[in-house]
Amino acid sequence: MKAPSLALAPRTVNRVRLAAILGVLGPGLVSGFADNDAGGITTYSVAGVRFGYQLLWVLLATQIALFFTQEVGARLGLATGQGLTGLVRERFGVRWVFFLTLALLVANVGSIVAEFAGTAAALSLFGVAPPLSAAVAAFVVVWLLTRGSFSRVQYLFVAIGIGVSLAYFASALMARPDWGQAAVSFVPSGSLSGAYWLAVVATVGTTITPWGQAFIQSYCADKRLGPEDLVGERLDVGLGALLTNLIAGFIVVACAAGLYSQGVTVDTADSGAVAEIAKALTPLAGEAATVLFAVGLLAASFLGLGVVPLTSAYAACEAFGWETGVDWRWREAPAFYGLLVFFIAFAGFFVLIPGLPLVEVMFLAQVVNALLLPFVLVFVMLLASDRRLMGPLASGRILQAIGWAVTVLLIALSLVLAWAWVFGAA
Amino acid sequence: MLYLSQAIGRPVRDQLGEAIGTVADLIVAIGDRYPPVTGLVVKTNGREIFLHWQSVAGLDGTGATLSTTAIDISRFQQRPNEIRLKLDLMDRQIVDIDGRKVVRVNDLRLDEVEGALHLVAVDVGPSGLLRRLGVEGPWRTIAHGLRREVPERYIDWEDVDPVERTIASVKLRVPHRGLAELLPADLATIIDQLSRDDRVGLIRSLDDEAAADAIGEMEPEAQVDILEDLEPARAADILEEMDPDEAADLVADLSEESREEILGLMEKDEADEVQELMTYGEETAGGIMTTEFVAVPANLTAAQTIDKLRELEPNAETIYYVYVTDSDERLVGVLSLRDLIVAKPNTRISTFMYDEPVAVRTDADQEEVTEVVARYNLLAVPVVDGEGRLEGIVTVDDAMDTLLPQPSRHHLLRLFGRGPGASDR
Repeated sequence: MKAPSLALAPRTVNRVRLAAILGVLGPGLVSGFADNDAGGITTYSVAGVRFGYQLLWVLLATQIALFFTQEVGARLGLATGQGLTGLVRERFGVRWVFFLTLALLVANVGSIVAEFAGTAAALSLFGVAPPLSAAVAAFVVVWLLTRGSFSRVQYLFVAIGIGVSLAYFASALMARPDWGQAAVSFVPSGSLSGAYWLAVVATVGTTITPWGQAFIQSYCADKRLGPEDLVGERLDVGLGALLTNLIAGFIVVACAAGLYSQGVTVDTADSGAVAEIAKALTPLAGEAATVLFAVGLLAASFLGLGVVPLTSAYAACEAFGWETGVDWRWREAPAFYGLLVFFIAFAGFFVLIPGLPLVEVMFLAQVVNALLLPFVLVFVMLLASDRRLMGPLASGRILQAIGWAVTVLLIALSLVLAWAWVFGAA
Repeated sequence: MLYLSQAIGRPVRDQLGEAIGTVADLIVAIGDRYPPVTGLVVKTNGREIFLHWQSVAGLDGTGATLSTTAIDISRFQQRPNEIRLKLDLMDRQIVDIDGRKVVRVNDLRLDEVEGALHLVAVDVGPSGLLRRLGVEGPWRTIAHGLRREVPERYIDWEDVDPVERTIASVKLRVPHRGLAELLPADLATIIDQLSRDDRVGLIRSLDDEAAADAIGEMEPEAQVDILEDLEPARAADILEEMDPDEAADLVADLSEESREEILGLMEKDEADEVQELMTYGEETAGGIMTTEFVAVPANLTAAQTIDKLRELEPNAETIYYVYVTDSDERLVGVLSLRDLIVAKPNTRISTFMYDEPVAVRTDADQEEVTEVVARYNLLAVPVVDGEGRLEGIVTVDDAMDTLLPQPSRHHLLRLFGRGPGASDR
């Protein structure tokens, strides 16, 4: 108990060179940026429009929770070189991995549909019809994932993420927010109304996701990072969590300043509402805000469209033990690429079904994600404290305590969302 | 036949039929072709105890029965050559020779072999997964109704090599296509990387021809190690498949007792040939020559000679020249394959053969041989004894070996089409 595992790498800290850290950067950043996908942006926007700055403290708390969950996921990947479903299969057997993988795939299909809806909403601001934008998005993403080498795809992700953050930073500035009031809101506050708590749950739920958890681990394993990369990877995860929530903060601030203070109200996060949010910014920041918002939403949706199907393909292949990774050529990992294309195409066809209630599908996806998250986190925490599996990278007492605390909190929030869904409070 | 998943979790009963716990794991001793089960891990009252296989009367899908009532409850200690099937193998990743992930272990199949339970195969098929999910029976019923088969796929344990063993994951070495289909040079590379024991195991699993090819591509010390570790009869079989000159070099390096034992077990013709080659100095023409060549009498026609070639099916390295000898086996001429093919079928070869063939003496220095081959641009040079009798030939690749540093040798063999890979790629 005198050796918290945070003190694991004291010797290496001084010796880690900048280049080594830069080489490790990626999984945390990409995973973090991807958390601010189409669903994230709409959720933050709605939160800002409805509750002004009141939810900023939730973002801060979420950032901390995100750091700890992503850190455990990355550590699992570094220590074992395996993805989550692979480890669950080895440790808990075929039945558990069957359940986990199936649930993850179903939840992911919902998330991919949401990403498609996001691209459709963003492109509709430029007058592109949804079926066309879905088809184009699907084609572009498949092409990027199957043709690009691992490192190029990765830099593309990070570049998009930075683009998104700049777009939102600009949006927030143009909305001329009340920074003083925003700063005060980092102290927890808020009403006890059901709607407020649902917004809290939605905000946390769109940031800490089952696929995000599975992704960071698979991505670390795929990059062949090892225990020696722990320090760099923690930095990467920390940076990812920080930037993710800065962006989320800017979105909330932009919407709070632009819309909440004007008394604008928005209903659920449907694609029409997204357009409404963008248009509502026009009087304040001019034409540029709408364009920036649209570009940001598009980029975020694309990032999600890349990452979520990747997570599905990783999860399925790892469960069966098939070769994974975007470094391979198609012929060398046929199952991986086949599944990747299948998941994108499957969700894409969903979007094309005329009259399909996209909003309900997206909300259902969020519920499935919320119900799945507790299982994912419990598996992750159990695996990460297993010394036989993790060796010196196993969670120490302090990290275990934090991890379980975060898990219990998130389980409680998931139950709130499930309860709201069952009783129709949403 | 028993699958591991069918045994795990089943009750363990003592001699009187009292349930004392459940089957937690099985232990096998690796090293054999099919590892025998040596013990049973029983979960009882929340802890694991180990039972020797001798005290187990039977094990099947309904559980285990013991032949004793007294159980030693001392803690289980895993010995180095033992693995726990569920803990160390079940659900583990299987990688092929290139380290590429192929599939996971869905189940493990055990069979009675010579009265004892052995691990015989890894179940990697859909039926194994269905069994683990507990729906194999219903699924089969449905599939049967639809007139479909439930696919079963296994990897023979013989093809599995748990070389890499870490606590985190046991990686099995399973070739994607099957080891014997790999090219000899590839095989040799893999084998060179294995430990001495694993090498022998791998060679054992190949057929004689593939093993001979693989050994032929290896470094001399490794060749000797392997031959001495193999059963002498198997070593003899493999040597028979090798080129006599290679075999002779190898046998010459063996210790005296294994040399005699192995030569004694070889076919007489082959053994004589090898022994004859061994009498020459290693650095002389006699030492590097092969006795596999085609020699015909001068009175044959071109057509007859070609028929003879068909009948003999000479190797790639020896087919280019046909040597002509008289009744005393003295070298009197040489024909190239080209000469034979362009000649009219009924012409006697004596009329168009080259009757002043270049040859070297058996005691000629290796460097001299190389020089002759290079100067006359030959694919092979005949080797004759003091009386001019044809004893063998030195092919260009063997002649060039002396010029090259060791590592690039394989490369050159490929270039000249001798490496079996050249025609396959």
